[in-house]
Amino acid sequence: MEKFFTFIGFFEILLVLFMQWEVYTKKIITTFSIASYTIAIFLFYLGITENKYLVIILALLTAGVRGFFIPWFMKKRLIRDPWREREIKPTISTALSILISLSVVIFAYVLYRITFYNSIGLVDGSIPIALILQGAFLIISRRNAFIQLVGYMMMENAIFLFEGFLFPTLPFIVEAGVILDLIGITAISGIVVKMMKNSTTDSNESDELKG
Amino acid sequence: MGYVYLLPMIFSAAGAILCLIRSTYFEEVISVISAFATVVVAGAAIFFPNFSNGFLYVDGLSKIMLIMISVIYASTVIFSTTYMKYIEDPLFEKNFYYLLMNLFAFTMFFTVSVNNLGLMWVGVEATTVTSALLVATENNEMAIEATWRYIIIVSSGLIISLLSNVFIYSATHTLSFSMLMSMKITNADKILTLGSMMAVVGYGTKAGIFPMHTWLPDVHGKAPAPVSAIFSGVLLPVALYVIARILQVVPVESVRNFSFALGFLTVLVAATLMVVQKHYKRLFAYSTMENMGMALIGLSLGEYAFIGAIVLLISHAFAKSSAFFLTGNVLARYKTHKIDDVKGISKRMPFTAYTLMFSSMAVTGTPPFGTFIGELMIVYGVLSKFPLFYTLTLAAFLILAFISLNFKIGKMIFSESDGGKMERKRVGRIVPMVNTSLAFLVVFLIPQIQEILSKGMIR
Repeated sequence: MEKFFTFIGFFEILLVLFMQWEVYTKKIITTFSIASYTIAIFLFYLGITENKYLVIILALLTAGVRGFFIPWFMKKRLIRDPWREREIKPTISTALSILISLSVVIFAYVLYRITFYNSIGLVDGSIPIALILQGAFLIISRRNAFIQLVGYMMMENAIFLFEGFLFPTLPFIVEAGVILDLIGITAISGIVVKMMKNSTTDSNESDELKG
Repeated sequence: MGYVYLLPMIFSAAGAILCLIRSTYFEEVISVISAFATVVVAGAAIFFPNFSNGFLYVDGLSKIMLIMISVIYASTVIFSTTYMKYIEDPLFEKNFYYLLMNLFAFTMFFTVSVNNLGLMWVGVEATTVTSALLVATENNEMAIEATWRYIIIVSSGLIISLLSNVFIYSATHTLSFSMLMSMKITNADKILTLGSMMAVVGYGTKAGIFPMHTWLPDVHGKAPAPVSAIFSGVLLPVALYVIARILQVVPVESVRNFSFALGFLTVLVAATLMVVQKHYKRLFAYSTMENMGMALIGLSLGEYAFIGAIVLLISHAFAKSSAFFLTGNVLARYKTHKIDDVKGISKRMPFTAYTLMFSSMAVTGTPPFGTFIGELMIVYGVLSKFPLFYTLTLAAFLILAFISLNFKIGKMIFSESDGGKMERKRVGRIVPMVNTSLAFLVVFLIPQIQEILSKGMIR
């Protein structure tokens, strides 16, 4: 199982690195969908092998909500606002973004080895940490609200992967609550993004949001 | 017995559902009734014993939070009934505003009543879902931008606390608060300590604690006055409540010192930034941040400082909600957020002016308000546990915050103005006056607060 976790984890890192370098919003959303389905497959396999039906339900919820519903909802919004399809002016250039995102993976590994490793004992436990940091970097480095939202959801995905593997006995009600909140956040974000006339940069220049 | 503690959730949820019925003034009437029903239940709860089962955990601290939330919820709903007409082009229909407001109150009642750290996280995140659109009510570009910042910054911050739940679970194999309490943890391993510190940072984001506070001034500055009032008065304390719970179950020195450091830095940063503020709502937002920093210091120190933190939070909730209601009155008449453009409130809106003066004094810890007693108890706690230097630094920045806020608000109130009177009538004046008075009356209730915290009820 640990080998499968490592394989899925590395695949997730590759997907998030692709997101860092991609400028087309639709492709980033599709990549997020693939990442979510991958986690759902992992949880499903875990539920089957460990004979835990709640983990199987969680896998189905992950596939349904994160893999299908949220990407579908975002793409539907994207069709209405075609100007959002491409990140015109990312905060950080693509070249620098590549460099930073690779450094983040190394940093996560070092951070994990010196802090959590002795307590958790999982050799590849740095993978979720790297994914969380990559999600945070995606939020910081982009101005497109949809991509920022994907960054947030990648951070949540990383935690799902982590806790699903290490603590499959974590109360199901908590995990279901987290998914429910995610639906709420996405729906509210969809409304807010729809209301934004331009990218967030325009409002950053506003005097009333300074200081 | 437990059903009593479910009633605030049931009333607010019922209020939200009934707001779907479209009828003139119906949503306002039903919201006011729901809110007052929660006040009655929360008030009665202090005479009932503590309760805990698989879902609920209600002790003295929860009961105090229930009272705070219900009173501010009620005053916000009443104030909204007159304030909403000043919003020229609202984002949504009035019934949707009240629906969200009732749901928002429901999520806060839920957070302070549940017996599971994971569900507390769900509750805190749900407050973001239910309140985000309320911030954008005024339907302008900056309000929408502030809403987006709120969603993305707070949700990202809360991811840290979600991870902290995983770590706490890995160390203790439970997230049940009552079970964690029964473990009586005195020595935490590395993973539990890290998890607890991450919880402080994560929930600190929602509470406006440095360094994850950046959403707070934007949201308080651009949200409508009643929304700013309920955010400042009770939403931020609800996030601090979860931190208080973490500190209760993991009372180790390193976590407490870490919380103290964050609270201390929050006071320093907020007080410094208050000096340069040009917009009065943002000024009050930084004042909220300063008060939350003080409350976190109190929670981290425990003992008398803990009681001081609770007294401060209660008194601050009343005073700050009043201050934000009054900024709404000023904005409705002067149509500007800028301090320099608001002149002579005392001549043009005398009731608003003098209530604003008292509420400003209250939020900056001036005697005889409850905030003064609360801050005094916290400062005493700092003095008894840390070298004098810390107390002097803290006191210096509290004085800086006091001068900054009262000087700027005083300038708005007492400067010369040529215009005629334009006072708001009845509700717009009475609600802030009542809340400011409550911020003072808290002083007489300190023995009862102490009894509720220690014994869980008043006998």
